[in-house]
Amino acid sequence: MIYRVLALGLAVLWPAVQGAPADERITVSAAVSLTDAMAEAAEAYSRTGHGVRFNFGASNVLARQIVSGAPVDVFVSADEVQMDVVAAAGLLKAGSRVPLLRNQLAIAVPGDRPRTFRSVREIADPAFKRIAIGDPAAVPAGVYAKAYLQKEGLWPAIEARIVPTGSVRAALAAVESGAADAAIVYRTDIRVSPKATVAWTVSASDGPRIVYPGAVIGTTKAAGEAQRFLDFLRSSVAIRIFERFGFTPYQ
Amino acid sequence: MEIWRITWFTVACAAAATALILPPGVVLAWLLARRKFPGRVLIETFVSLPLVMPPVATGLILLMLLSRRGTLGGVLERLGIEVVFTWKAVVLAMAIMGLPLLVRTARAGFEQVNARYERVAATLGASPARIFLTISLPLAWPSVLAGAVLAFARALGEFGATIMVAGSIPGATRTLSVAIYGYAETGQDAMALELLLVSVAIALAALWTANRLVERSAA
Amino acid sequence: MIDLDIEVAQGSFLLIAKVRLDARAAALFGPSGAGKTTILDAIAGLRTPRRGSIAVNGRVLYASDGGVNLPPHHRHVGYVPQDVALFPHMGVRANLLYGRHPGVSADLDRVVRMLEIDGLLDRRVTDLSGGERQRVALGRALMSGPSLLLLDEPLAAVDVPLRRRILPYLQRVRDELTVPIVYVSHDREEVDELADVVVNVDAGRVVSVDQVRGS
Repeated sequence: MIYRVLALGLAVLWPAVQGAPADERITVSAAVSLTDAMAEAAEAYSRTGHGVRFNFGASNVLARQIVSGAPVDVFVSADEVQMDVVAAAGLLKAGSRVPLLRNQLAIAVPGDRPRTFRSVREIADPAFKRIAIGDPAAVPAGVYAKAYLQKEGLWPAIEARIVPTGSVRAALAAVESGAADAAIVYRTDIRVSPKATVAWTVSASDGPRIVYPGAVIGTTKAAGEAQRFLDFLRSSVAIRIFERFGFTPYQ
Repeated sequence: MEIWRITWFTVACAAAATALILPPGVVLAWLLARRKFPGRVLIETFVSLPLVMPPVATGLILLMLLSRRGTLGGVLERLGIEVVFTWKAVVLAMAIMGLPLLVRTARAGFEQVNARYERVAATLGASPARIFLTISLPLAWPSVLAGAVLAFARALGEFGATIMVAGSIPGATRTLSVAIYGYAETGQDAMALELLLVSVAIALAALWTANRLVERSAA
Repeated sequence: MIDLDIEVAQGSFLLIAKVRLDARAAALFGPSGAGKTTILDAIAGLRTPRRGSIAVNGRVLYASDGGVNLPPHHRHVGYVPQDVALFPHMGVRANLLYGRHPGVSADLDRVVRMLEIDGLLDRRVTDLSGGERQRVALGRALMSGPSLLLLDEPLAAVDVPLRRRILPYLQRVRDELTVPIVYVSHDREEVDELADVVVNVDAGRVVSVDQVRGS
């Protein structure tokens, strides 16, 4: 009986084993918010004859994996802080770190109660009883949101109404479902949401510097390939793809 | 198409993980039920740890042990074996999270087997190994089976440890749970929902099959 | 021949037994809680004494001085517990044959005929009556080719008319096989019918050893 189970397990697993040939492609850890844009960029890249293997996740998880020695060749983070973590561990290839993309914060409101702010101070309106943002202690978008509100002098007024969520996507979901009256998320997030609309976009000059950096990891065994991909992400082909998804290239 | 690939991969890994822990898990459950030995409490605690620790923490420990800089990872690298970010890490994470469920359930089953049967078998000349195979295991089989099903179900739904040590690599280590997370995070709720339904359907099928098996063997 | 010299402690209960038995059938007789089953368990290896020695036909099974403590599966002792304990997941035949390995010369046909259980061989354990179970358990113990047979209250769980029917089987085993029997009982009548020697046990002590009939 036990041998039948074992044989079955092996037989069932074999296709999955075969599906992963000795992989010559580089491994790119990228923030999960970049999933679709990266997938398309990689497709364009593959037409130059080179392949890429992605590992998507929350930037802090990705950084932790790299610091613990996971075999990653390129890291594209959703914020500088997580890239700094990897840098502090001495794992970035010297000189390879470059800012790739910019994003902007935006305030989202439920689609069935649309509003357009004439000034950001409208967020202090008591009608917004619950305002969701990514947890400022851990989520990059939340860190940015809090910094922005503090800079505008709005934080003390609305701090009590802030609902911290585990991810920026969760903050948006809170607004979509009506559980929150407003959320501070990335501009790129609201674009894909049918149930939320933009009340206010934080301009690049007013808002915090949201930069998505990329770098080659020092322990890579394919430094040339890694650098080639990183360079590709700054090419006009890649930039056009990212713009289509709502990101701004870093100038 | 992608859905079926992800599903196939997840079920295959969960089955492999369950098959992996079944022999040692059952033997360990019997030892814990029937034998006193030095270090017994320590082993009990270690086996139960994944149950009470946050899965991400378990994943982090695995990652630290198995990556190139880790104790085990260094050895494996010299042998040319890669674990982190491959399907092996997925199976390993699933196995570790499922083991305590298997051991605890099987152990309860062994404890319920009347010790009298085992003692009489001993007087009839059966060695401890023979007693285990011919008396204890057959009589505790429904519990062992139930434990295996629990471990399998746990493996199917495993997320926290998997994503830490296996990553989310489309086509290579993306399981159902990890894929659902990815789609949800990028606002693709329709896809996430589809995968979720597939997950639930498989879990139901697994549990239904298991219940029939348990009923039949208890009869 | 059984040489017993043991001290067995369990909680606050202490059993001290020093006795030599040389009979076809010896009864351990006394009230419940006297320690009779403890003696059986010690001989079978299911309970380890605090100190002492146990030898059967000159073969040492346990000796605290010499550091000898054979595990139960090496003692060649057939044991029928009070609750019979036939393996529920096996049929009658499988139960009977469980203790048989190469080198054991027990003959299935002979045992089966002696205990009149031929018709039961293909039955499931759960289908048997109380008396049938007793006989199968006895057969199972005999089939392991023991050098000693231990029976714990073999007739206790059985009502009087059935007792009259099983007793002859026990007598047959005593008379036809060369395997000595040690059994526990608190029934005087049963003891009288079966035993050659009676060991009176009370409150953890051997009170007396009586020869009932010449062997």
